[in-house]
Amino acid sequence: SSHEHKLNFKKSKEACLSYIQDALLQKQWNRAAEFLTCYVESLEKDYSREHIGPSEMIWRIGTEILWHHSQSSMKDFNCFMEQMKTLGVKRYLKVCLEHVFHLLCNGQIDEAYQSLSLAESWRFGEQTAIQDKEMKLIQAYRGLLDFYSWSKQKNILLEHSEDGFSDLAVEQEMHSCFRKAAVNLKEIIKIPGVWDLFVKCYVDLLEFYGDHNEARQVLNEYAYNSKFPANPNAHVYLYQFLKRQGESKKSLISALKILHDIVPSHELMIDFNTMLQKSKKRKKRRLGLEVIFAALDYAGWKENAKAWSCLARQVKQIVISDKHLDWIKQEWNSRKDWWPAFHFSRYLAKRNWQENKSLSYEKALVAGILLGKDCKYFKYVSHQGCKAQLKRFRMLKKFVNRHNPVCLRICG
Amino acid sequence: MEFPAALFPSYFGAGPPREEGGPAPLAGWGEHGQVLEGGPGRRQVQPAFVPRRGATGERWEAADAAAVPVLLPSAGCWIPSPAPQDILYRSSLCRKLRAGKSGATLDFAKQLGHFFVDHPEDAFGSLGRLLHKNFYLGNSKLKRPARNSTIRMTALVEDIDRLEARRGCPRHHLASRLRWFSHLCRDWLFEVPLGLLADCLHEELMEQWSNLLFDDSLTGGALAWLPPEDEGTPVGRLVHPGGQAMNHLYFQDVVLEELPRTRGSPAQFELSGRVRQVAAARVDGQDFVGVRSDYHCGVWRVPGRTGAAPAPLQVIRTDVPASCLTVSPHLPGELSVCTQSGTIYLWSVETGLQQLRHDPETMFFRDHSPWRWSDFTAHPRVLSCADRTGLQCLDARAPKKCHFDLFKVGEEAGCQQGERVVLPMYLGRAHPSQYLVTTQFSVYVLDERLPLVPVLKWAHMMKAPPLFAHLTPGHPGRTHKVLLGASRTQELLLLQYRGKRSSSESACQLAGTPQKLHSIAGCLQHLPTQLPHRHHLLRQRLAAPAAGLAATLQEDGPHKSMLIFQLSEAGDVFCQRLTHKAAQPSAPPSRDEATTAPGSSPLFEAPASSPQGSGATALRYRRWLRALSRACREPPRHTWPPSLSQRRLFTRKDLEGPAGPSSLQRQMRQRLRQTMQEGGRIQRWEPSVLQPPPLPQGLELAGGLDSLSARLTAAWAGDWEQWWEERTSFSVAQRQQALRERRRRQKRAQGRRSLSASFTSSLTYQSELSELSDTGPSLLSPGRPPILSQEGSPPAGSPPVRSPPTSPAPDEALLSSQSLRCRGIPKERRKTLRDYLSVWAEGPPEPPEPPGSQASQLCIPSSQSQLSSASQPRRKRPRMGF
Repeated sequence: SSHEHKLNFKKSKEACLSYIQDALLQKQWNRAAEFLTCYVESLEKDYSREHIGPSEMIWRIGTEILWHHSQSSMKDFNCFMEQMKTLGVKRYLKVCLEHVFHLLCNGQIDEAYQSLSLAESWRFGEQTAIQDKEMKLIQAYRGLLDFYSWSKQKNILLEHSEDGFSDLAVEQEMHSCFRKAAVNLKEIIKIPGVWDLFVKCYVDLLEFYGDHNEARQVLNEYAYNSKFPANPNAHVYLYQFLKRQGESKKSLISALKILHDIVPSHELMIDFNTMLQKSKKRKKRRLGLEVIFAALDYAGWKENAKAWSCLARQVKQIVISDKHLDWIKQEWNSRKDWWPAFHFSRYLAKRNWQENKSLSYEKALVAGILLGKDCKYFKYVSHQGCKAQLKRFRMLKKFVNRHNPVCLRICG
Repeated sequence: MEFPAALFPSYFGAGPPREEGGPAPLAGWGEHGQVLEGGPGRRQVQPAFVPRRGATGERWEAADAAAVPVLLPSAGCWIPSPAPQDILYRSSLCRKLRAGKSGATLDFAKQLGHFFVDHPEDAFGSLGRLLHKNFYLGNSKLKRPARNSTIRMTALVEDIDRLEARRGCPRHHLASRLRWFSHLCRDWLFEVPLGLLADCLHEELMEQWSNLLFDDSLTGGALAWLPPEDEGTPVGRLVHPGGQAMNHLYFQDVVLEELPRTRGSPAQFELSGRVRQVAAARVDGQDFVGVRSDYHCGVWRVPGRTGAAPAPLQVIRTDVPASCLTVSPHLPGELSVCTQSGTIYLWSVETGLQQLRHDPETMFFRDHSPWRWSDFTAHPRVLSCADRTGLQCLDARAPKKCHFDLFKVGEEAGCQQGERVVLPMYLGRAHPSQYLVTTQFSVYVLDERLPLVPVLKWAHMMKAPPLFAHLTPGHPGRTHKVLLGASRTQELLLLQYRGKRSSSESACQLAGTPQKLHSIAGCLQHLPTQLPHRHHLLRQRLAAPAAGLAATLQEDGPHKSMLIFQLSEAGDVFCQRLTHKAAQPSAPPSRDEATTAPGSSPLFEAPASSPQGSGATALRYRRWLRALSRACREPPRHTWPPSLSQRRLFTRKDLEGPAGPSSLQRQMRQRLRQTMQEGGRIQRWEPSVLQPPPLPQGLELAGGLDSLSARLTAAWAGDWEQWWEERTSFSVAQRQQALRERRRRQKRAQGRRSLSASFTSSLTYQSELSELSDTGPSLLSPGRPPILSQEGSPPAGSPPVRSPPTSPAPDEALLSSQSLRCRGIPKERRKTLRDYLSVWAEGPPEPPEPPGSQASQLCIPSSQSQLSSASQPRRKRPRMGF
């Protein structure tokens, strides 16, 4: 009966798919391709209502095979993609986008640009929300490519101007690229998302044409709009922009303070700490100590010699001046139950000494002050340092011995 | 660690997932996802783009055609967990498996029937005894005076048989006699009130069924590899559970050669529950191994140097089953524990437990699963906690105040409807702030510096949700390898991703294509052809759900290879080697493109390319098969014909009583001897002259007797019927209450273990198994008929007790209680007979094995009793819930 026939057809379709899957997962591209030619039959009776239908499967499998097959060429790939675009209206934009990605990754920028322009002019009835998003992405990527040709022309122009003559045609072309890029990039970065690449390019454009207010507004929006994810890069871009603009220390610090609040382990925290340490205000120096302590809490910073030297310097300063010991004490209170095992174990002392002497020096200084001269880490490193006749370490030992009472005050 | 200078573009939405859900078979292929400009600099003429997925990865190829066993199977047979056909209604099996939890029809009646047949005493004991005189089981007509008080049950039994024969017939209806009978006695016939019994059974069945659909107690896996401290020595340590109940923990030294082999005997610990998870982390050169069973978690310390003995540090007990145990990679002796009541603890060996959160509700939306997970993050004081709806990070110093959402099943991560978190894992060894989250559809990589937005997402297309994951970090410039493993289907998938390009940090990308690795079951087709029943057994064994995953990278100069260990629920550890191939311009069609026919495997053909390796593999398989068939022969069989010595029936003490055998004993013994010689059986054990034994006095003196003892005492005294009268005055409600109490207690004590406990039966299971594994020659060789010897010397001319059986294992058939009953053997004598027959089948006991690595495993009865450690060892088949 026809019902049974349909069932069998469905079953054999499933079996075929599982063979393909098996072949793909074992990188047997030839075998997968052979099965795929059989699977194409399933398009004839596509009654399925699953959310991934046979046409999408064929697109996905075919693409994957063509990426890896030893005998496939870019021409085959383009040809296949053109066919796939006509296979399903709903997926047209997605397939276009993927095609463009592949062209871009293979360095075919011009072809990608053409493909993007073509896709942008595509219209088919009412767009779904997903299609709307895809269209916006297509426009954004076109804007990005416009930006690249703008920057290419800008470079030509700059070279020419160095030579002393100007080329009006190139300049006009450049401005038209700017307009096209700016329109599209501006659109996408209004929508919540991660748009690092697009934001950077758009800000570049604006800065070149001197529209600093707009650039600042865009960056502020990207960093502080609560609908956007808490992207550390947004704050970094803003900070870099402010720095380029030569803004005051205060605004730089406030930008970094927010970054510190959301990502205490960001690599800019060293800059932040240095900036704060130089400050005359007590409150800021205090914040600096907090920042560097917080950064060193993270496993990724464990062997960061720069960060340890920042902490060592500040702690040393405080100990010598004998002021604000309570700052250290407060920071240390929430860490004294786990920092010794995390940073100052004997095992680490041995390893740090073997791998990085200056790191072990900075750490030993901090350990000596925070934990006293009997701490395992300090004892091991200073002992090894003295044995190796390194002057630095002898000084360190003296310093810690002299200030041992301070340590007792911190611990107590 | 720097944050990547630019991330791949993506939309960010909030709220519940919008995309329609459902498993998509091939959703992970053919997509780049997004591209990012990743060229050396913008000054270049042409910008260079890199894709999020589809970049080239490293080439790793399987060195062998199948996974190879690492350990020999332990003595004592594995007890398979229940399969769908055990608890589902027969005809709807295939259809309902797909339909999911609600659609399945559980075969409730069959299970209840099993209980009645297997535990008649518990089910109908007292009333059976009371009505004994009133039920007539003969075929002849009843005479007049008897008919007043007796009914003939034969017709009823015939009706039942007929009903069974007509099963499936659309027009069958109950015989009126049956209906009448059941209507009449439904309320009072059963020892346990039927409604309550049915409730308990149904509850248990539902639990078993949901476990069959998805058993999350195995999450994390129970296998760990402790690498050697200095990478020069090729000796690492494998930590795995074993034993019939998987309640032994082994630390086994393994030498990494062409084929990894074990060295020495393992350090062994017996635990009080089934090992669900083994987690390990290395801190300061020492390994800390956390072991989770349902109600206990323990931690061991293993010093880094090879040969040092593992030291148990601490054990905690939980009231609710624990669902997670992870070991801190930052601080020695710190672990995190989650229980199914929604509590998360930070467990430090030095300072004890600190409760971080207690919330029986799920975090982001309502989900019924009590599963919780927790792991460590880049900050040693910040822990992640997860349930099926997402992940949060909380600061142990102020867990109520300081927390943030790391991952939400929702539009934020572009999830599908119905997607649920299956396994989170901290990827600290690859990148200190990265996290892996797997769901049943996809795998995500998250960066805790950018919460909620996955830095990588890929549809993994696995058939079962990945319960195990393993990370092998790559050196700078190389890819990180992630292995995903599923339990029921044994799938193993290798993914590669990259978080760093040249020297600077860059956005995460997937590299290469995902790769399927060998599963344990895959080696079946390469094994030599087996006898059908052995093949069946072997297939069942090899297809046991996976229970753990471990891997290690081995670098020997330019040769890099990866060893992947997979543990199955049967306790087998198989391993496979992947070798790294430097990039080649064009790959020749690989060997395995040609399909291999069963039996004609390259493993056994020993190809010229690597004769030694392949020969060793074949040898390894042969050894394993031999050990397996030896282990599964139950009870141990011998090549010589079984003989039965009279001594074995009685202990030495019995035989050498101080007063010498009494006349009664002598008489009995003579009778027994005679019967054995004749090959007959003893119909009536007690001779008429038997005096009633003296009543045990102690019992009556004992104060608060439990009901069983009271009943027995009454029976001894002979006034049992009066006891019954008293007992019936107990209200039914009181009994129900008591039963509920007992059930609750049992459940608490056994918990999930009841799954294995209720399905493990000592006697019946083994007899089933020996029916399958039984081979004629090994039991009774046709050429040499078994002879029942007396004092070891066969009496000349006496006829053999049994002729060599043409059908295997008649004694198993003899042993079942139904068949005994059919032969009209009274209940109280069945056990005697059964014991008698089982001794006969066992032969002399095996001398204790020389102390090999698994010597302690040979003690079968004791290890079986551990299966149901809460109750006494059982001889009958306990069915579910009892």
